Amino acid sequence: MKVNGVYIDDTFAEAFPMKATRIIITGMTLKWAYRAANSLIGFASSVIACGCEADIECELDPEETPDGRPGIAVIVFAMSTKQLADQILKRVGQSVMTTATSACFSGLRCEPSIKLGQALRFFGDGYQISKKLNGVRYWRIPVMHGEFVCEEKTGVADAIGGGNFLVLAKTSRHALAACEKGVLAIRKVPRAVTSFPAGIVGSGSKVGSKYKFMKASTNHPYCPTLKGRVPDTDVGPEIGSVLEIVIDGLDEEAIRESMRAGIEAVCRFGPEKGIYRISAGNYGGKLGPYHFHLRQILA
Amino acid sequence: MSGIVLTLKKRPSQFVDLPGLTPEAIAGRSAQDIAGEPLQLGRRKVTVADLFEVEDRGEREIAVRGEESEITLRRSSDRLCAIGTSMSEGRIEVHGSAGDYLGRGMRGGHIRVRGSAGHCVGQGMQGGLIEVSKDIGDFAGGALLGATEGMNEGTILVSGNAGHRAGDRMRRGMLVVKGGAGDYLGSRMKGGTIVVLGPTGRSVGLGMRRGTIVLAERPVEVPATFHTSGKLKMEFLRLLFRELGRSFRSLAFLRTYGPLSERLIGDLSAGGKGEVLVLLSS
Repeated sequence: MKVNGVYIDDTFAEAFPMKATRIIITGMTLKWAYRAANSLIGFASSVIACGCEADIECELDPEETPDGRPGIAVIVFAMSTKQLADQILKRVGQSVMTTATSACFSGLRCEPSIKLGQALRFFGDGYQISKKLNGVRYWRIPVMHGEFVCEEKTGVADAIGGGNFLVLAKTSRHALAACEKGVLAIRKVPRAVTSFPAGIVGSGSKVGSKYKFMKASTNHPYCPTLKGRVPDTDVGPEIGSVLEIVIDGLDEEAIRESMRAGIEAVCRFGPEKGIYRISAGNYGGKLGPYHFHLRQILA
Repeated sequence: MSGIVLTLKKRPSQFVDLPGLTPEAIAGRSAQDIAGEPLQLGRRKVTVADLFEVEDRGEREIAVRGEESEITLRRSSDRLCAIGTSMSEGRIEVHGSAGDYLGRGMRGGHIRVRGSAGHCVGQGMQGGLIEVSKDIGDFAGGALLGATEGMNEGTILVSGNAGHRAGDRMRRGMLVVKGGAGDYLGSRMKGGTIVVLGPTGRSVGLGMRRGTIVLAERPVEVPATFHTSGKLKMEFLRLLFRELGRSFRSLAFLRTYGPLSERLIGDLSAGGKGEVLVLLSS
């Protein structure tokens, strides 16, 4: 199968169940909402060592936010509800509450839920005020910039992490140009995010290593510099760079739609602009319950 | 499920309590059955049919409204007391005035009065919504006799004025008055939120321990046990006004209100965790 002359491998992306929540961050201006959101999603590219994966889902107009100010929706993923609760508490407490003029609300009201303002309220040192509006409890914490308003809880949803595709290109410059467009297309899809820096993975990993203390190591079959060195290399002579786009989503449809939008955007570059192949990362289908077959998605 | 229309034949000579006439109490019953329901008129025992014309509103209209039943009181009078006592679901529509104790101990559902209501509206309320299109009497959202706390959930929305002691001992919930309020607004309050858009009487928030009173007009007098934090942008007000504007079409104008207000903290003689926010940008 080819799309605009780009060969699509007959393979699939293997994804895993995760837990996720959505946070809405507002600020005096969109710039300050971004400051808080960017701080929250910092060092959240992979659960392997960051504790969670997080990225901005979309900007929100003042009409769409609870307090009528410009806002940002962020989705945070973790391997368990406990891990998610721990990360949310640390990140909202240290990144959002410390950002001037910020406020924090749940973007996913469901059960089960994890603590948001319910835990952060203690920062108020007894001067915090609880308010229940339309059945939702909020905490007002007096802070130096004025008042930090934070919803009490945020819901936890079953989600999927690890949807992906690989872009095999002539050079890293070609791969990057196409992947940037691919990520822009994915960002238009709701309920899905790309948590790696700028949405693109430059050093994709495989499970395990020759070193026992390493959980993951370089994805050697896709390293162009190992062509001719490793017997299971999967990059042909024309390939000089491979980049990966990893997608986390709140449901299968969000990941499927994101992969389709991303691959189509990448394939628009075609072989004449250095994009030769699209593949996907998997573990033989034995580890993850979700399989996203490239050719089915693009059919 | 069923719904009934009760049309008052003439204004009763004495006060009549209607605690048994709630949507859940009439659910599934015929108009004839409800007409025989006993009521107490002074020292006399009467039936619903003695005071009201009882009419079954039919299945079709109820089906459109869903599973819950509805009571419509037509030509209502201020002599009809305790309407909607302890109701937990459904809807009561009152055309005319309602007497005292409207929605006493209410746990859910919706009461709408197209007229005024008497004293103690939403007394001991634990949920639901009461809307009154004209004025209400004293002690709205207050405590049941012998109780130490007033309403602890739900919303009371008054388009006219409220009497004295509105929100007295209030624990939780929301009281919104589009007109003015009398003396001792939010006295001994323990939580919840009161919004008054008109003028208020003396001693606002006297003895309040917690809770928030939002005033669009500066009160004539604030107790000496309140201290000011000065003019501030209270970010919470943005949330409050948006939620109110979103929930009630009649309060949609609140979405244009800003957060700039003077914050008065008090009552310092009762812990000082309450606040009176006087809007400066409304």
